[in-house]
Amino acid sequence: MSFAPRNARLRDLALLLGMAVAAAAAYYAFPDNLAFATRVIIMMIFVLSLDFVLGVAGITTLGHSALFGAGAYAAALCAAHGWSEPVLGVIAGAAAAALVALLSGLFLMRTRGLTLLMLTIAVTEVLGELVNKFSDITGGADGLDILMGPIFGVLKFDFRGQVGYIYAACALLLVFAFLRVLVASPFGLAARGIKESPARMRAIGAPVYWRLVAIYAIGGAVAGVAGALSAQSTSLVSPNVFDFQLSADALIMLILGGAGRLYGALFGALVFMSVHQVAASVDPFNWLFIIGALLLAVVYVAPAGLLSLPDLVKRQLRFSR
Amino acid sequence: MKATLYGLCAALALAVAPLAGASADTIKVGIIAPFSGPFSIYGKQFKEALEVFVKDHGTKAGSHEVEFIYKDSTGPNPDVTKQVTRELLIKDGVKYLGGYVFTPNALAVAPLVTQSQTPTVIFNAATSIITKKSPFFVRTSFTLPQVAGPMADWAITNGIKTVATAVTDYGPGIDAEKTFIKEFQAKGGKIVDQIRMPIKTTDFAPFLQRIKSDAPNALFVFIPAGPTAFSFTKAYSDNGLKAAGIQFLGTGDVDDETTLQALGDAAIGIKTSYSYSAAHKSALNDKLKAGLAKLHPDSDANFATVDAYDGAYVLYKMIAAAGTDGPAAVKSVLGMSWESARGPVSIDAHNRSITQNIYIREVAKDAQGKLENKEIATYKDVPDLGQASK
Amino acid sequence: MNTFASICIDGVAYGMILFMISVGLSVTMGLMRVVNLAHGGFAMLGGALAHFGMAALGLNFAAAAALAIVVVVALSAPMERLLYRPLYRMGELQQVLATIGITFLMIASVSYWLGTSILEIRLPSTLSGAVNLGFRTLPADRVFVIVIGLIVIGALYLLVERTRFGVKLRAAVDERDAAACLGIDTAKVFSRTFALGAALAALGGIMGAGLLPIDAYYPLRYMVLFLVVVAVGGLGSIAGSFLAALGLGVLDTAARYLAPAYGTIFFYVAMIVILGWRPHGLLGRTES
Repeated sequence: MSFAPRNARLRDLALLLGMAVAAAAAYYAFPDNLAFATRVIIMMIFVLSLDFVLGVAGITTLGHSALFGAGAYAAALCAAHGWSEPVLGVIAGAAAAALVALLSGLFLMRTRGLTLLMLTIAVTEVLGELVNKFSDITGGADGLDILMGPIFGVLKFDFRGQVGYIYAACALLLVFAFLRVLVASPFGLAARGIKESPARMRAIGAPVYWRLVAIYAIGGAVAGVAGALSAQSTSLVSPNVFDFQLSADALIMLILGGAGRLYGALFGALVFMSVHQVAASVDPFNWLFIIGALLLAVVYVAPAGLLSLPDLVKRQLRFSR
Repeated sequence: MKATLYGLCAALALAVAPLAGASADTIKVGIIAPFSGPFSIYGKQFKEALEVFVKDHGTKAGSHEVEFIYKDSTGPNPDVTKQVTRELLIKDGVKYLGGYVFTPNALAVAPLVTQSQTPTVIFNAATSIITKKSPFFVRTSFTLPQVAGPMADWAITNGIKTVATAVTDYGPGIDAEKTFIKEFQAKGGKIVDQIRMPIKTTDFAPFLQRIKSDAPNALFVFIPAGPTAFSFTKAYSDNGLKAAGIQFLGTGDVDDETTLQALGDAAIGIKTSYSYSAAHKSALNDKLKAGLAKLHPDSDANFATVDAYDGAYVLYKMIAAAGTDGPAAVKSVLGMSWESARGPVSIDAHNRSITQNIYIREVAKDAQGKLENKEIATYKDVPDLGQASK
Repeated sequence: MNTFASICIDGVAYGMILFMISVGLSVTMGLMRVVNLAHGGFAMLGGALAHFGMAALGLNFAAAAALAIVVVVALSAPMERLLYRPLYRMGELQQVLATIGITFLMIASVSYWLGTSILEIRLPSTLSGAVNLGFRTLPADRVFVIVIGLIVIGALYLLVERTRFGVKLRAAVDERDAAACLGIDTAKVFSRTFALGAALAALGGIMGAGLLPIDAYYPLRYMVLFLVVVAVGGLGSIAGSFLAALGLGVLDTAARYLAPAYGTIFFYVAMIVILGWRPHGLLGRTES
């Protein structure tokens, strides 16, 4: 954490610009794969929210898909009931997910460690069951298909997925900028402090519990954005948004990339999904071998995630001299 | 002068004609199914069936070369499915689609196939509403109502007066339950209990004990194919329902051929209704099984095999009739009927779903001592019953 | 009354299977403090090997089960040394990632070797069918599971309370560093305990195959279930796992008898309530 705010801010701005450029480059380089690129972007947003909650604030959760799903269903229900403008749907999704995170956070943040982990899983399972139960409203196991209107009433979603991609990319840049600013702020510092030592934070008078609830709610809102975008780009929501597999995948992507610095979330999501995409087209039956080996390689070689590789290499070079 | 011109044209035409005949354009067909993950058995069965089909019928449909491209949907993941479908349409330029095991996946691609006018043959997804969502969907599998209705009729005809139903608590299960109950009650039967079982159930003993104390003549069950169906069917005999004389009536999902042998002798006597049994006696079925055994000796033909095989038949017919003209292709198969390995089938002209014989089967030992689904009754030309009521 | 008795019996039988698979996880997580998400993989390997023994090698049930457990134990030794030992020093996130990676490799191996269909384990005819208890019948394999489960817990009790290994194990769980200072070879305790946990998982997988059918994706399907039992019971506590498994088993069964429409909601609500009341599990130790 640099204490030269101006330099840091300039650097962040440059990196944000770099991300925008990269997104634009992808748009032109892979015109036929925009659907995949959009899915990667949505995943990046989801993993960013997990990084904020887990990597920065230390809340161990395997139930993040509860918030993703809440956002997805909120956005879908909006569209199904006449408010088919996408941005409205995303806002609704973020709000719904924040609410779910707030309510569940009230009792979740009183626990830690394995207990917290298991409870987050329990909350997700209960939500999934409820969605299935109230199938008249939610469409049940078959899903709820929706028709998305044009963005701001003007930009229609096209067949090639171009509008969808740009829409998602803009959302990613906004979300990333927001989280970066938040993490660099005193609020973010408090979150890091809580991760390192809740006891010390309490000793200096910080309201740890309420901070954690707030962090969880904010992280939840971002996850809700990802869920809403997913429902909108698929124009369908089904109970698989509450899958445990989704939470687990997000966690894998985060740890793969490196938790705590936000960039790791982006990188991990990109690497994991790209490997899956390539491996699946080569030999879908055996892709688990590849990903299993990759995970083990990362843990034993670069435990702090792929983002720490440059540092490791530097250190190796320094030692070998 | 004119004669020379005509002569020149004729000569040119003759010169070009063989080229025109020989230049077969390639039409690509995208097949989307789970090839990885817990449902990869579907992808495997589909792919093997298509390989057998190509061996039997070649790679040409009419004057067009057909190329199959396979993409992994990984399971009930509509976002992945929509992505790979889009890729197939945009990047690979497929003109036809096939596959689709899960209802949400099929629903997610409905707008895409309508917009791109791509005829899509559903190899498995079994909810009636799917074919309504796009005029380009054609289905060669079955629907739950289609399968459940005849079972109710058979039950009444065979002296079963009271039934307890137990279905998995989600869309397809509820469809099966509703259709069965409607048919059964309409014919004078009595439903003594209606149980809906949570999707994640692993231990079915409580439900079976409850049915046992209800003491109906039979139970009717729907559970999606896989480990849970296996557990339920085992628990049926383990909990003494068989010994207590409560007959087991179900849909063919509980004992499809890839899990049938695993059920063991405890499964003997259970009755299921389905569109296909590998034990169906016909020359075409024997040919299909022989073809499969030759290419993949360790595989068993099941409903997914024949659904894909027939799906390929429909695809080839569409391609031969209309090439890349989507709407014409779909039109060409409306009302089409043919003899499939499962029996006589036809594509309903109104709802584009398959009309077929539904068989009531009983699990028995075949001549080699292996378990088979022996057909004991046939209901001819059953349409998708779910369309009528909706 | 009849329903009550049924709930107890079916619930206990279900609980026993959960216990046998989860107890190894509880012990290894409590002892080595490693989040071992690959534990379900050992149960699956046990079941897959037993299936292979019976189907391909023609062995009878007892021989195949014994072979399976021996092979799993043999596999667990090098795995512990090579893969798990580096994890002891690492953070929880790395442990999660690595053990998920190990799980994926196990799944990929079994699906490559034996395919993705269900790998059934045929119990001998003496153990199939039903046992008549008078007011109702109980599947014979459930009775068998209850008996084996009681033997297992009895044996574990003797092992932990009455043997030297047990003393070392308890010392290492309670105070790892102090135990090492007193000359207990903690590395050896760890690897022996790990082997024990894997063996128990394999046994549980084989015994529970009627209820939780063995297939390549078994670990992913049921991982959450085992973690729930361990969390509710308390890490490192065998008695806690036993109580949690039986309690959750009976509760889940009761819900299915009395209110199936609400499915697994009861199970998870119960878990939330218990963990809310006792965050370290029923008999867990507070972290030192």
